[in-house]
Amino acid sequence: MGKGERATATPGAREKIKQQQAAARAQERRRRVITYTAAGVLAVAALGAGIWYGASKSQPEQAAAGLAPVTVQPDGTVVMAKSGVEKPVLDVYEDFQCPACKEAERVSGQTIKNLAAEGKAKVVYHPITIFSQEPTRSNSLRAGNAARCIADGKQWMAFHNLLFQNQPSETAEGFTNSQLVEWGKEAGVTAPDFEQCVNSGKHVQAQQSYSEKIMDEQKLTHTPTLKLNGTEVDNAVVFSPSELRDAVTKAAK
Amino acid sequence: MDASLSSRSARLPIPWVTTVARLVLGGVLIAAGALKIGNPSDSVLAVKAYQLLPESVAIGVGYALPIVEIVVGVLLVVGLLTRVAAVIAALLMLAFVFGIGWAWANGLRIDCGCFGGGGQLGAGQEPAYLIDILRDFGLALLGVWTVRFPPGRFALDGALGLGGDSADDDLEDL
Repeated sequence: MGKGERATATPGAREKIKQQQAAARAQERRRRVITYTAAGVLAVAALGAGIWYGASKSQPEQAAAGLAPVTVQPDGTVVMAKSGVEKPVLDVYEDFQCPACKEAERVSGQTIKNLAAEGKAKVVYHPITIFSQEPTRSNSLRAGNAARCIADGKQWMAFHNLLFQNQPSETAEGFTNSQLVEWGKEAGVTAPDFEQCVNSGKHVQAQQSYSEKIMDEQKLTHTPTLKLNGTEVDNAVVFSPSELRDAVTKAAK
Repeated sequence: MDASLSSRSARLPIPWVTTVARLVLGGVLIAAGALKIGNPSDSVLAVKAYQLLPESVAIGVGYALPIVEIVVGVLLVVGLLTRVAAVIAALLMLAFVFGIGWAWANGLRIDCGCFGGGGQLGAGQEPAYLIDILRDFGLALLGVWTVRFPPGRFALDGALGLGGDSADDDLEDL
């Protein structure tokens, strides 16, 4: 039908119609490209904004001038606080083998250290063994034992950081005694009985019984668990340096 | 006449199937992303739990993944840039299938982290790799369908004149 009608038009008019159609098509194509590009830019911008927001929320803090004094307690817990700072108490229950603890240390570990250095909190580290299956259980016990072999607070903290940095896979044997001895030396441990203490598993029993006791007492279901004046800190706060800082600062008032 | 009519009625459901595919795939992606986005560290952990990517890459993927899922999911649901979004969604799903299969083949005992969670199984929990793989593979197929027959009904692409396989199709639709 359409063709028949067009055929009656004069050649000149037909050319004109063709040109008009071509122009309309080109315009339509241009409009489509612009719309498409705009939608694409919008989508990419939403992506970028979201990723930037997420990354900035869990951006680790910079290291402050120095560490607050660190003291290893007889029960194997470690207190990090400026002298005289008793409140608020931030308890950190962590397992050297637990990946979430490594992630918490990466994201918020520096914030915790900074807060102690600023005198805004008394931090107590409780290295425990939460795993019940192998190989993770033995890995964690060896690491916990080695940490208990260190009496000096500064060395303990350096060792603590090295353990998380070098955390083995959950499916393989790791934290071997020879590695632990080496990292101890790297952390500045000079005590002559350190190597023997690590190799003999001197404090494995203590690590085990302390873990059981504290998990029971504190009703821990997972690591890391942070408690601020005895109240569990929400996981989303634990993994957000700025929110953690706010929570602790508020508790200090 | 008869032939064109019957082919037309046979073609009619296709846009509707695409719409359903878009809504299901997009809805699942939005849900998966939304459940992860509140705790990006969990997402990082879940990616790390696969032990598939080097640490620094895993961290980046962990942060980006929930947002990518949400944006791609929204694009699919509203039907904007349908084909591009469907390609990304299908590739994502195939990557998940690969990752879960990899974890399974390597004897890892992890939670897939598909809908949040840090990738760690609780005590006594068993992995559900087969179900996860089947689900993600099915979703990948929905993505492939959407790539083949975009943009379906109720799509912004259609309203904006962006949809269809080619310009000719668009003109036909108009």
